[in-house]
This record gives sequence, C-alpha cells and structure tokens, in this order.
Amino acid sequence: MSQQPSTSLPPPDLVPLIYQRGFRRLLQQGAYVGVTALLAWYVYDALNLRDFGFGFLDDPAAFKVANQWITDIDGVTNNRITMYLVGVWSSIRVIFVAILLSTLVGVVVGVARLSSNWLVARLAMLYVEVFRNTPLLMQVVLVYAIFLVGAPIIQDVAVIGDFAFISNRGLAIPWPVPDAGWWGVPDWFVGVWVALLIAIAAAAMAVRRQRQNIERDTGQPQFANRWAFGIFAVGALVSFIALGLPVSIDRPIVEGTRYLEGIVIRPEFAALTIGLTLYTGAFNAEIVRGSIQALPRGQTEAANAVGLSAYQRMTLIILPQALRQMIPSITNQYLNVNKNSSLAYAVLYDDLFRVAGIIQNKAGHALEMFFVIIVTYMLISFLISVVMNFINARVTRVGV
Amino acid sequence: MRLPSLKSRRLVSALMFAGAALIAGALIGACTSDDDDQQAQAVEQQQQVMQQQQDQPQAQVSGEPRGNTIQLVQDRGTLKCGVKQTQPLFGNRDADGNVTGFDIEFCKAIAAAVLKDADAVEYVDASDASTRFELLADGQIDILIRTTTITSSRDMELDVDFAQTTFYTGQGFAVRKDSGINSTSDMANAAICVQTGTTTEQNVADHFTDIGLNYEPTGGLSQDVAAAFFEGRCDVLTADASDLASRIVVRDDADDYQILPQIISKEPLAPGVRDYDSDWKDVVNWVVHGLIRAEEIGLTQANVAAMAANPPNTEVARLLGVPFEGGSVSTLGFDAVDAQFIQRAITAVGNYGEIYEREIGDAIERDCTLNALARPLPSEAVDCGPGEGGILYALPYR
Repeated sequence: MSQQPSTSLPPPDLVPLIYQRGFRRLLQQGAYVGVTALLAWYVYDALNLRDFGFGFLDDPAAFKVANQWITDIDGVTNNRITMYLVGVWSSIRVIFVAILLSTLVGVVVGVARLSSNWLVARLAMLYVEVFRNTPLLMQVVLVYAIFLVGAPIIQDVAVIGDFAFISNRGLAIPWPVPDAGWWGVPDWFVGVWVALLIAIAAAAMAVRRQRQNIERDTGQPQFANRWAFGIFAVGALVSFIALGLPVSIDRPIVEGTRYLEGIVIRPEFAALTIGLTLYTGAFNAEIVRGSIQALPRGQTEAANAVGLSAYQRMTLIILPQALRQMIPSITNQYLNVNKNSSLAYAVLYDDLFRVAGIIQNKAGHALEMFFVIIVTYMLISFLISVVMNFINARVTRVGV
Repeated sequence: MRLPSLKSRRLVSALMFAGAALIAGALIGACTSDDDDQQAQAVEQQQQVMQQQQDQPQAQVSGEPRGNTIQLVQDRGTLKCGVKQTQPLFGNRDADGNVTGFDIEFCKAIAAAVLKDADAVEYVDASDASTRFELLADGQIDILIRTTTITSSRDMELDVDFAQTTFYTGQGFAVRKDSGINSTSDMANAAICVQTGTTTEQNVADHFTDIGLNYEPTGGLSQDVAAAFFEGRCDVLTADASDLASRIVVRDDADDYQILPQIISKEPLAPGVRDYDSDWKDVVNWVVHGLIRAEEIGLTQANVAAMAANPPNTEVARLLGVPFEGGSVSTLGFDAVDAQFIQRAITAVGNYGEIYEREIGDAIERDCTLNALARPLPSEAVDCGPGEGGILYALPYR
C-alpha cells in the first residue's frame, strides 16, 4: 500500500469498517473499558462476599509491639490503627537511617574505588562485589545472627568506656532527655527554641548570600558556607544554653537482665539497618563511581591545570557535576530501601508489615490489610520521590 | 493529505469516548445480568446436589453454603490438611521431609474415615499463623489442624468453624532455671519473646495490664522467637505450654530451662473447617469423639479388628458400624460417610490415648490434665470444691 501513490487509495467509504482507523480505535477502547469494567465488577463481587470494610481497624488492638521510642502506647487501650502507625513509625526510622548511612557509604566507597591507591581501590571493589551479589535477606539475617550469637549475653555485658554497654539485648548508649530546666516545664521550650533556630538560620543564610556576593564581585574566597554553618552551630548552641539547658544526658545502667536509662539500639533495628545500609551502599557506590567516570576527562585535567588539590578537585569540580547524573539512580535505590525494609519480618523487628500481619491474624480481613500496606509503602515511596525530585530540580537548574 | 483541524479532531475523539462509554455500559450491563443468571444456576445446581438445601427459599450471602467439603474431598480422592511443619510433637517436618506429629494423626484419622485411606492426605504447609485462616477460607485446604485455639472472635469474625477440641493447653512461660523468675510478678520490664500471629500476644498484653507491670516484647514466628530466647535475647519465652514443651524437649540443654506452673489463658486447640458446612464439621467432630470414646471403652488399634468381628455389646457394634448378633447396621444418621468410618479411623491411628502416647508421650504430662479422660467420673471424685471437679469447660471469650 505504502508503495502506491496516494491518489490510488480507495475512497474512504469503500474501506471495510475494520480497516478504518476511527472504528478500530473505538473497538480497542471499547474492549479496554469493557475488560476493566469486568475486572472491577469481579473484584467488587468478590469483596461483597467477604464483608469488605475497614471498621475492624478501630477495635482495641490487644497486643503490644516493640518500639523503644513510643513506650506509652500499651496496645490494650489503643486501637489497631494506632498500633499500625507505631509500626509505620518503626519502618520510617529504619528507612531514614538506612538512606542516610547508605548514601555516606556509597559516596566514600564510590570515590575509593577510583582511588589511585591500589589497596584502597581493591578493598572498595571487594566490598561492592560481595554485598551487591548476595541476597539482602541473607545479609540481614547474618547480621542479626552475629548480634544474637556473637554479642555477649546480658549477664556478661561488655562495657565500652564506662558509658556504653553491648550485649545481645542491644547497644545501650547515653541519650539526652529533656527535663524541667531552670524555668519550669519544657513544653514551651521546643516552640521557642525552634523559633530561635529559624531566626538564626535566616541570619546565617543572609550572611552566606552577602559573602557569596562579595566572592563573586571580588574573586577573593569568602568561605560563605563555612561562615553560615559556623553561625548556625554557634547560634544554636548559645541559644540552647541561654534557654536554660533543659536537657540532661542519661547514662545507661544495667540492672539485672535489663538496661535502664539511656537509649538502647536493639539488635533487630541494628541488623535491619546495617543490612540495608551495606547492601544499598554497594549499589550507591557503583552509581557514584559510574557518574564520576561519565564526566569528561577534561574536567579533571582542567581542575589539575588551575592547581586544585585532589580534595578540592573532588568537592568543587567532580562531585557537583556527578551529582546530576547520580540523583535519578540514587532515587531508585532509596525507593528500594523503602520496599526492602519489609525484610524486618526475618529479624523480629516490628515494622509496619509485621504489625499488619498481627492485625490480620486477629481480625482476618487480609485484603483490606494488604490494601493498607500497599498504600502505606506507596505513600512513603511518594514522599521519597517528592524530596528527591526537589533535589534533582535544584541540582539540574543550572545547565552545564 | 490534509490533517483535520484541531477542533474537528477534538470532536471526533469526544465522540469516540462517548461511544466507548456506551459500549462499556452495555458490556457491564450484559456481564452483570449474565453472571447473575449463572450464579443463580450454580446455586440451583448446588441445591439440587445437596438435597437438604431445597427448602431454603433464598440463599443469603452470609449464611450461604460455601460448598460441600465431604463431596469435594471424596471427588478429589485426597484430603488437603493444613498443618504446622515447624513444631515438634504437634506438626513437624523432619529431615526426610516426612510430616509427623499429634495433629497429623487426626488428618490421617479423618482421611481414613472419609476416604477409606489414611495415606490419602496432602499436607499443606500452614505454619504461618497469619495466613492459616485464609488458606481455609480460600479452599486451599479442607481442614486446618494446626494447634489453633478456638476463640469467640475467630469463630465470629473469620470464615472458620471449630470442631471438637483435640488438645487442651494454656499459655505458659519458659525461663532459664537460674533466672530467679518464678511467676509473672517477677517479670517487671522483662524482655519477653512472644510468638506473633497467635492469641499469645493478646493474652500477655492483657495479663501484664492486669498485674500492672510493663514488659518489652520481641515478636516473631514461633521458631524464630524460640531461637532468640535460647540465645539469651529475652528473659522469658511465652507460648502455649504445649508449644514450649515441644521446643525445650528437643534441646540438648533441656534441663537448663523450666516451664513455670503458671498458666494465664485457656487454649483449646481444635480442628477448623469452613463456616456453613455442618455436614463436614459433624464428621470431623465425631471422628475426634469416636477416638476418645474408643479409649474410654478400651478399643485399640490392636483389638479393633477382633472387636468388629465379634462385638461384645451394642455400643461397640454401633461405634464400629457392624451388626450386633445378626441385627442390622446402624448408620448413626451419617449420610456422607458409611457406618464403619470410626472403625477405619481407629484401625489407622488407634484411639486418642494411643495417639497421645505415640506422638507426645512423656514430653507433656497427661495424667490429671484436661487431656486425660474424665475419670474418675465426677460423682466418684473426691476433695472437690463447690462446683469443681466436673467436665465443664467454657471456650475463651477473646
């Protein structure tokens, strides 16, 4: 047909109906809508039979989940959705810490892989190959087993420098706790201090902008970021002390078979976080290495030519440009951290998935619970994506 | 060829969309009515097959029979039995891949009764407590015999109906002997390993609220929390006392641990079947009762054949489904299974006492527990308080 001149096409009304574009599209879309409607009806019908509804989430939970941060939720008076949210909070803690640590590991190891030092580069490669090529579940379970079997039992607790303890019940470290301070209750304190911090941060940003302007105009280095950070740190510390220092450091103690005071990093949390960090860190390292190597060689040569040190070359020239390549891939890894956090199931960590499992066992309603689980994971993923897209928009705003 | 103007293209697409919507509407209408008819037909057929549903004017959604499991099992020729595969004594998969245990014997007994073949059982892994009821509701198993507690909320909320209890236990606590813990009142702020996905968590939460103490839970699958407990991760392991016994008995250092005498809950473990299938539940019920009755009247795996050939009295004849002194055979009113179903069950696995002896033995004391026969009969019992010493046992409300 296509080889024939267009004038030889039959008039439109002689083309069979099935070959007419409009009719075909109508048919396709009709079929699509029909199949979708059929599926929707099937699901609706199945749900009808199962007594679909979310009312069961409001019933008393009658169980307790481990969470050392939220200790006042006993599970007897609270309803199921509250316990689920405790699980969500546990998940978010792991995800947040694992993302931070895996990024750090990724940048350090990724740069180390490109090091001219043979040993450093090979060690980094060994790390990446080992952790990238073994299952995450195995790593998480292994770390947990090392904690359970390797760490001393609480009766033989190991003391680190007189302020921290380690046993297979967890690592107990000192932790600041708010107290009444000089001027009464700390309730007002948070609000006032946060307001002050915002003011100090605004001042620091103003100074930073001013110094950046001077640097741009004169060409003299003004260390704008260091100034801004210094002002903020000193301001935060001074305002904190001036407000009466309403915190004291709780040092942990061991009494019988339990830790008191301080805070305990439990082996379940540690195993999951370390497992996620090592696994994701290996992927992040490859992304960092790849993004750096993708930069034209001229960038390094130019940096060398203007006499920058290796550190300056990396922080001022290479990494800022490599960041543009990295962020989309790193975002994927962060989303994977979110999804992989459900491996908590293997190490007795009470994340959202486990708490949902408990609720399911008590109340049935597996479909509803899985719906809630899916929505929760998607919301966390969405949150990560929004933040990463914001960062991505910032680093790609200036064209290279 | 000239492209149509933007406006006319929009018009065309709007028309096409309207057309698609119309077709979709027609399809939905057609499908709905079609399937309604089919459903009605299916229900009709089901009612014809099942005979006893004939007088039911209109099947309601909640009380609608969800199928005839006996028929299903007999047509298939195997019994799909949902069992635990991770708990020694009750339901465990050994190194050779064989599934053994107390619960397994009841699967065999029921298969022998319904299918005339104790080996016609397909053991479906229902080790995961949180999905076991879904397996049953979805028809992936015919019966759930998996150390499952009857509770009021499970009976009401889930698509499960419980048959006669096969094992009575209660939630207990295991500790190291050198821990100095003698009861839950010594457990203030203790780290407690709790099996999740069971009624255990609720009992422990309720109990600690009652006694006004706090505790730190570490929850997980039963084998995982048991491992954590034995590594010293927690001070206390809590589960059904029978579960605790089965975890400890297989260990080399079993003597270092003890199960506290304190029991904080009732855990009647019973086979579960689907709701609204009373014929199937009746058969399961009476197989369990039959095995217990067999022990009461001294029928064993060894003597059942001789007893069937020459029944000493009418009750033995009735139970074994054989004629007494040339009389006719009593069917006991069971339509779906023949009169010899209890006889086959006893031949396959023996009476309740024999099952207990074979699978549990000395690991869990039987004498003077609820799992022993109700003897001496209440009237003969001595030293009973007012209203005590009988066989009344209310199922747990939770």
